[in-house]
Amino acid sequence: MTRTNLNRFGTLIAFVLLCVGFSIAAPQAFASPANVFNLVQQMATLAIVATAATLVMTISEFDLSVGFSASLAAVICFVLFGQGYDVWLAVPAALLAGLAGGAANGVLVARFGIPSFVATLALGTILSGFAFGLSGGQSLFQSVPDTFKALARGEVLGIPVLGFWIVGVLGVAAFVLTQTEFGRRLKAIGGNAQAARLAGLPIMRDVIVTFAIAGGLSALAGLLLAARLGSVQHTMGEPLLLPAYAAVFIGTTASPTGAPTVAGTLLGVAITGVMVNGMTIVGVEPFVQKIMTGGIILVAVLLRRVGRAK
Amino acid sequence: MHKTIAVLGLAAALALGVSSVALAAGEKVSVITPYLAATATGEMIEAFKAKAAEYQWTVDVVDTAGDMGAFASRVEDATTSGANAIVLVSVDPAQIQDQVDKAKAASIPVVTIDGAKNAATALNVTSDNYVLGETMTKFLFEQLGGKGNIVRFFHSAHPGVHQREIALDDALKANAEIKQVGEHYVQVPGQIDDSRSAMDALLLANPGDGAINAVWAAWDEPGIGANLAIEAAGRKGIIIAGIDGNPQAIELIKGCTAYVGTVRQGFGEMANIAADQLNAILAGGPPEKDELFAPVELITRDSLGVTCN
Repeated sequence: MTRTNLNRFGTLIAFVLLCVGFSIAAPQAFASPANVFNLVQQMATLAIVATAATLVMTISEFDLSVGFSASLAAVICFVLFGQGYDVWLAVPAALLAGLAGGAANGVLVARFGIPSFVATLALGTILSGFAFGLSGGQSLFQSVPDTFKALARGEVLGIPVLGFWIVGVLGVAAFVLTQTEFGRRLKAIGGNAQAARLAGLPIMRDVIVTFAIAGGLSALAGLLLAARLGSVQHTMGEPLLLPAYAAVFIGTTASPTGAPTVAGTLLGVAITGVMVNGMTIVGVEPFVQKIMTGGIILVAVLLRRVGRAK
Repeated sequence: MHKTIAVLGLAAALALGVSSVALAAGEKVSVITPYLAATATGEMIEAFKAKAAEYQWTVDVVDTAGDMGAFASRVEDATTSGANAIVLVSVDPAQIQDQVDKAKAASIPVVTIDGAKNAATALNVTSDNYVLGETMTKFLFEQLGGKGNIVRFFHSAHPGVHQREIALDDALKANAEIKQVGEHYVQVPGQIDDSRSAMDALLLANPGDGAINAVWAAWDEPGIGANLAIEAAGRKGIIIAGIDGNPQAIELIKGCTAYVGTVRQGFGEMANIAADQLNAILAGGPPEKDELFAPVELITRDSLGVTCN
């Protein structure tokens, strides 16, 4: 293996070593089919939110509202269930809310020039207020149809349903980014927005569409999380934000250019998911888990910077 | 190349580290909570660990810091890892029904402490939260002489806390001369700081003497935060009551601050009951009942023998 390949695949090899380490430490539990099944389920919502973050980072922006969008979509859906509406109305309504919130982020950034860090944080906070108000601050878990729960539970051909969501969503996102003109435009905007503008690319439209897609994906992740748990809390999506960006950053270490990619993000999600799952199974103390998880993210990003500086 | 070596080294160190984790002999019990940062939850878990040590169980404690998705995942991990029992603390198992059902299907008994009854769990040990709220509210209203303005610090996402809020709602309906002039939904974790900030704002919004006469805190930590704000503002004539018997709250009661009362939940007692019942369950027997209540105790200046001028 050449030095270039070693550099490129180092993160992947590290992931494999993690799996080997946990398999040695807990051979009956970690490496069992049941745990692989669990891991896929546990990673799905994070993978989808991280994909939303990847799209936005491709245009060199940040979306800090992803967790809030996820929460709001889930709350809207469950409130509608509580009022007697069925899945076919509640789910589209929740997804539309996510798309609308994301589009509003895009308008604030592209039309009004507000830095995405500020715009998405502000709008996300507004969304969290709506989620709080709609839920009354209570945990909602009544009147949830089985058809909704089925979106994130069970298996098909031995593969967890959530695994199909990962493949579907990330597959489409990867295809769009690598194989379509829209994807190439996003990379151009992320690489040099000024040059893209001078080249006549529809920057404002593309930025708004990208944020809208990110909002829609976040809403989808919130719905799948709610379907998996069977309950909703108005803050349930917020813990997804930091791990999502951590996964994207880890993923960039596997990218030859250091740019975010869907495949790299999936690797980042897998590394964070395996670490938490594995350490829980082998009984690592909670404080050690946090130190090691934060440590590996930091090391990965630092190494990326060192690598790019060379 | 250096990058690769470093990443590989880190992974190898982790692999070696986790490989060296030795599993002690005895039953393996996974204790999982989203609220370890809360003092009461921590107290329950420490008491449970102490009791578990007597039974020579190996206890793994997992905290998901308010993240319910991670909470569900960790319950799945405990099930997969073949824990002999799972103990959920300060959470309603209905919020993760699918995961609890899977644990039951795997014949792993699930016990909740400070949770709620559930068909898939073997036992819930708690206080009667409505009684806790009712006891504290009655005391607070008596201290006000049946008349005055209160502010409410609450957190309805916790099923037990919500029951206390219902007790307050019922008491407000029955006491027309007591008005609620403000409320704050407490953020967890960070509840003391959050409550202090909220009380700062409530005091500014209600500046007159007698505009606020009392703080109703659904548990002690928001009350402690409110007390900090009241002291900083130098406001007089406001009293605070909470629930849990938090040691810091008891010190504030002893110190003749605005904090005048708390209702102690028997957290240690709850954990002890849960451990004893779990021991019976692990021995193949049933629990005494599917829900058991620990006793409650009202703690005031009088009960502590404190005289304040």
